Amino acid sequence: MFSIFKGLVGSKNLTANDMKPALEKMRDHLIAKNVAADIAIKLCDSVAAKLEGKVLGTFESVASTVKNTLNDSLVQILSPKRRVDILRDCLESQKQRRPFVVTFCGVNGVGKSTNLAKICFWLIENNLRVLIAACDTFRAGAVEQLRTHMKHLNALHPPERHNGRTMVQLYEKGYGKDAAGIAMEAIRFARDSGFDVVLVDTAGRMQDNEPLMRALTKLIKVNEPDLVLFVGEALVGNEAVDQLVKFNQALADYSSNTNPHIIDGIILTKFDTIDDKVGAAISMTYITGQPIVFVGTGQTYTDLKALNVKAVVHSLMK
Amino acid sequence: MVLADLGRKITTALQSLSKATIINEEVLNGMLKEICAALLEADVNIRLVKKLRENVRAVIDFDEMAGGLNKRRMIQSAVFKELVKLVDPGVKPYQPIKGKPNVIMFVGLQGSGKTTTCTKLAYHYQKKNWKSCLVCADTFRAGAYDQVKQNCTKARIPFYGSYTEVDPVVIAQEGVEMFKKEGFEVIIVDTSGRHKQEEALFEEMLAVSNAVRPDNIIFVMDATIGQACEAQARAFKEKVDVGSVIITKLDGHAKGGGALSAVAATSSPIIYIGTGEHIDDLEPFKTKPFISKLLGMGDIEGLIDK
Ligand SMILES: Nc1nc2c(ncn2[C@@H]2O[C@H](COP(=O)(O)OP(=O)(O)OP(=O)(O)O)[C@@H](O)[C@H]2O)c(=O)[nH]1
Ligand SMILES: Nc1nc2c(ncn2[C@@H]2O[C@H](COP(=O)(O)OP(=O)(O)OP(=O)(O)O)[C@@H](O)[C@H]2O)c(=O)[nH]1
Ligand SMILES: [Mg+2]
Ligand SMILES: [Mg+2]
Repeated sequence: MFSIFKGLVGSKNLTANDMKPALEKMRDHLIAKNVAADIAIKLCDSVAAKLEGKVLGTFESVASTVKNTLNDSLVQILSPKRRVDILRDCLESQKQRRPFVVTFCGVNGVGKSTNLAKICFWLIENNLRVLIAACDTFRAGAVEQLRTHMKHLNALHPPERHNGRTMVQLYEKGYGKDAAGIAMEAIRFARDSGFDVVLVDTAGRMQDNEPLMRALTKLIKVNEPDLVLFVGEALVGNEAVDQLVKFNQALADYSSNTNPHIIDGIILTKFDTIDDKVGAAISMTYITGQPIVFVGTGQTYTDLKALNVKAVVHSLMK
Repeated sequence: MVLADLGRKITTALQSLSKATIINEEVLNGMLKEICAALLEADVNIRLVKKLRENVRAVIDFDEMAGGLNKRRMIQSAVFKELVKLVDPGVKPYQPIKGKPNVIMFVGLQGSGKTTTCTKLAYHYQKKNWKSCLVCADTFRAGAYDQVKQNCTKARIPFYGSYTEVDPVVIAQEGVEMFKKEGFEVIIVDTSGRHKQEEALFEEMLAVSNAVRPDNIIFVMDATIGQACEAQARAFKEKVDVGSVIITKLDGHAKGGGALSAVAATSSPIIYIGTGEHIDDLEPFKTKPFISKLLGMGDIEGLIDK
């Protein structure tokens, strides 16, 4: 008959059982927000582990304690441990008179080429000259897609505004050829012609398509880009986990290097299509521990943002 | 195979019923928990999963039920019924009619695989000796017309599009009219990717639809999509008369459960699945055989009709 006081009187140690209802609710809530199911479970388990045995304050309820702890974990997961500062790194390699090379990879249709074009726009706004390497030699229209972007971007930033320099150029060898070879030629061409940055577009591929994953690994291994960005869409559900695990695994396993180059950062695209179901941001950063370098928020060149950790966590928790 | 992994998990969960000596609340809850976890891992919409659990529980009344065998059967049949509901909207898909023009319009989110699937479908009908063709009404995406052009040229499918016209409604209308006059039977209209948050894009879709008066509108959904599918699918259906669903990219690891919520949200059946980037990577989809295969069972129809 004293049990009704338990919630109020502060001297009780939290047990797993006390937290169970609140945690189950939280788990379902996270899944509904599109966090991958096993990550939602792991997150709730870690909250339970953190809180077990803790003494609740007089006015704290189990539910709000669980909520606050989870909130902190989410902020921590999304907060980058390492900063990727592309502009700074570009200027650094400019000093060394070599182009800064970025490779974009990911599964089919997530927005690699479009967000490459957005990043290109941002770089030329910062007065850097960019060479786009058309290394998707498979998908119909892939080369023309990039050529169209190049034309648009040069029209927005004509040579007159940049001391007569053409700010963007496309390096392409059509379809059917070896992507790694084209990337290599492009990088050489960029070095010889004084480009500041090379953006390497690659074909979309399924994470367990071994021949295609080997080809990507080769491209990265032989060309040693400065940055490997994984492009993933915010729409993706549980597959986010499998995609990132297997891209990293392939890049490690198929490269016989002792220190293979795996994913350095993430571009999270189509963020404008998901309302508050922002869970993919958690799934992707939880799995890789790598930062979300950019968020794609639309289909025009300016729809490229930095991740707003607070806003994402707010959407997740509300 | 699609959802195969999910099928295995559900079958295992159902088998736990046969193993249990008595069937009580606890056994039922345990089984439902396993099934729901499997569905959630496969990206099935969480609201649909909760509904499934409630519906199964609602049918089973332990106080009123007699022997163990009967309970098992009732529970299994309730689970089957709910699973079928996920995939089967209970309507027949549109069937193109030979000898007359059938206008089929493709719609969907950005990058879901519309353009690729348009060519696959045109090719599919062409192989069966239908006069089929493609109209490229995507004037937005860079390189969209080149993509259609290259795909169609390779497969020898007649196509219509423009590098200069910017209004997709004009292109769609002109293309469809031209091909109708020329006696084409399957006229496929490819459109730009769009999403519900951008009203102008949805209005454009409606305008194209009004201009070409399609016999069927196919909603193309990517198998990797998660919980955002339902709201998008519903919004598409509210704007235009979606009649069928195609799920793409099922050649990968994705189980496609998220995309299934498009079936409920649009009340439209899945008619094909995409299983690769090549032109012949398209498989017809039939709901009932799919479910039987999924659960490794032969007589589901029998179970359901009881
Ligand atoms: N709404 C929205 N659409 C986007 C975003 N980023 C890209 N898209 C759209 O997504 C579609 C696919 O983009 P692409 O850049 O061609 O994708 P990809 O990954 O290069 O595709 P593949 O090379 O075929 O694998 C296009 O319609 C883009 O306009 C975004 O942030 N928001
Ligand atoms: N692996 C695989 N890839 C597919 C499948 N269907 C389409 N793709 C790929 O997905 C990417 C996007 O396909 P598109 O046909 O351009 O998609 P879309 O919906 O027309 O894109 P937007 O017009 O930009 O909205 C391309 O790389 C296709 O090759 C499939 O069934 N399996
Ligand atoms: Mg691309
Ligand atoms: Mg398209």
